Amino acid sequence: MPVRLRKAALPYFLLLPGLGWLLLFFAVPLVYMALESLKTGTIYTGFQLTWEFSNYTNALKDYGEQFIRSFEYAGLATLISLLIGYPLAYVIAFRGGRWRNALLLLVIVPFFVTYLIRTLSWETILSDSGIVVSTLKSIGIVSEDGRLLDTTVSVVAGITYNFLPFMILPLYASLERIDSRLLEAGYDLYGRRRDVFLRVTLPLSMPGVVAGVLLTFIPAAGDFINAQLLGTPNQFMIGNVIQSRYLVVTDYPTAAALSFLLMAFSLIIVIVWARIAGTEALLGTEEERA
Amino acid sequence: MTPSDHDLEREFERLLGNPLTRRRILQRGAAGALSASALAYLAACGTDEPEGGGDQAEEEKAIPKGEIADALYFANWPAYIDEEREALKKFQDKYGTKVKYVEEINDNDQFFGKVRQQYDQGTSGGRDIHVVTDWMAERMMRLGYVQKFDKSTMPNATANLIERLKSPPFDPNREFTMPWQSGLTGIIYRKDKVKRTPKSVEDLFDPAYKGKVTMLTEMRDTVGLVTAWQGADPEKATLDDYMKAIDKVQEEVDSGQIRGFTGNEYLKDLPKGDSWVIFGWSGDAVQLKADNPNIDFVLPESGGMLWTDNMQIPVGAPHAFTAEKFIDFIYQPEVQAPIEAYINYICPVNGTEEVIAKADKSLADNPLIFPSPTFLDNTHIFRGLKPDEERQVDDAFQKVIGA
Repeated sequence: MPVRLRKAALPYFLLLPGLGWLLLFFAVPLVYMALESLKTGTIYTGFQLTWEFSNYTNALKDYGEQFIRSFEYAGLATLISLLIGYPLAYVIAFRGGRWRNALLLLVIVPFFVTYLIRTLSWETILSDSGIVVSTLKSIGIVSEDGRLLDTTVSVVAGITYNFLPFMILPLYASLERIDSRLLEAGYDLYGRRRDVFLRVTLPLSMPGVVAGVLLTFIPAAGDFINAQLLGTPNQFMIGNVIQSRYLVVTDYPTAAALSFLLMAFSLIIVIVWARIAGTEALLGTEEERA
Repeated sequence: MTPSDHDLEREFERLLGNPLTRRRILQRGAAGALSASALAYLAACGTDEPEGGGDQAEEEKAIPKGEIADALYFANWPAYIDEEREALKKFQDKYGTKVKYVEEINDNDQFFGKVRQQYDQGTSGGRDIHVVTDWMAERMMRLGYVQKFDKSTMPNATANLIERLKSPPFDPNREFTMPWQSGLTGIIYRKDKVKRTPKSVEDLFDPAYKGKVTMLTEMRDTVGLVTAWQGADPEKATLDDYMKAIDKVQEEVDSGQIRGFTGNEYLKDLPKGDSWVIFGWSGDAVQLKADNPNIDFVLPESGGMLWTDNMQIPVGAPHAFTAEKFIDFIYQPEVQAPIEAYINYICPVNGTEEVIAKADKSLADNPLIFPSPTFLDNTHIFRGLKPDEERQVDDAFQKVIGA
């Protein structure tokens, strides 16, 4: 093979493992799931491909409530994560000094414990007779016969807690990259702190905000562990439904249809969000990429 | 099923020269008589009979006699045998068989999801015995995933199985299932939190316990107990009876009376005080009581549910005859005793009580482990549901428990 041809082919060779991985673990299952979602049948009769598009409309009709709830909870948790995460990332990036790495490590440390255990420990923290609830009761925030565990509050709190680092890390990465000379220039031009933040820091950190929101929102919308452990049936999300349809009811077509709907809705939300926040923030400007 | 599928099957039938059943195809497939693609086609297009079925299974031949192999793969639930696993050692001492004991079943549904593809193609994934609960055992039978015992080679199992478990609705002659352990579903409660000792399912609906009540995610336990309380016998109830029970449960979920539905997560909820009066399992109750004297178990007046985890031999099991021998082997009281002493569920083997009494009188006297026949009279076994019924009840129940 001539040297030039080999050179031209090299990038494609390098792409092979990644493409193979995508094909095997993403594209093929996706096609399989798409076909599954259009079948009818039971485990006893087998599932036949009948192009049953009503699986989608029925799924939406039966579980619209859980879809809306999932996006509500995920949206709420994302918003709270942003409100908690931004100041935190800001402080670590600009005021962290020599503690910066230690503080970042602290953000990641909970990840050394598995997701399940972290969520289970919230069960104990928020337990009816636990210290949190009794304290809140004594200052009147929780009513005398009220509770925290197995409520919307505990589920949203659990999701927020579990996905918070996904918000903080990209925020930190984009804040840390900001050239301090730009901030100085802002002050030199008689900008007040507020103006400098709103006109310089915030716009420059938008890629972090966009990435953080996506990284938090998308997995949060499909989560089912928090609702299962920290909620009741009245808090169950679409992930819980998919799990039960697939494993318990063995209604594979509906489970597949629900998964596709979740994916479609998430995609729509991402596109809308990218429009609002601007694709530049999402992908970086031409300049930055160059 | 389309006509062309029927034609294809007839063609197969003709080629094979004998009546076609799904099981037989799968067995032949496993033996290499059919190509993998033909099998995949059959698996994809489903089976010939709409109702699956016991009748079809009955014409199956029992496991043929053979030699006892030197290996056996036993799939069971975690913590479901004594830590020393004495029964396995004794079996090895006697027959030289090394038993590979794998605790791989955490949940009936998940296990089914995991093995379905393998079993559907007539391979057992190396498993010789698996243990699943009644309704799943029935599903396995209906799908033709398990083999029929040759009871003539199982004298202990025939002689020592306790009376109450001899003919469950789904396997009246115990030809496809043998109990590993049984248990009761009833009411577990906190003595220090309730006003009076609960006697009936009705006590769970007392407004004083609002938000402190949980029921089980196992449909047959929760629906069975409520159905019995409403006056129908879960062993014979109609679809409407079950639906009526589900409606009642829904009502209590909507009002906030029922806090949620659990597997054995109540093991931590009860001691913490997050729940007070719940549906739970007898074996757990024995252990909870030992740790916390404020916890007790009671069968409701309308009766508790009696369920069994059953041993089955999947189709394609590499050592089916050995598996049969093993099942029979543990139906000896001396072999059963250490298992029973450890796990505290209901012992299915007659005579074990006497063996245990020699070592531990209090254990042998515990009615939750060795219940008297009259005690067991006040229990129900959930009846076998037809596939379409099962789907409807499951569907309705899953909606109530939130999904």
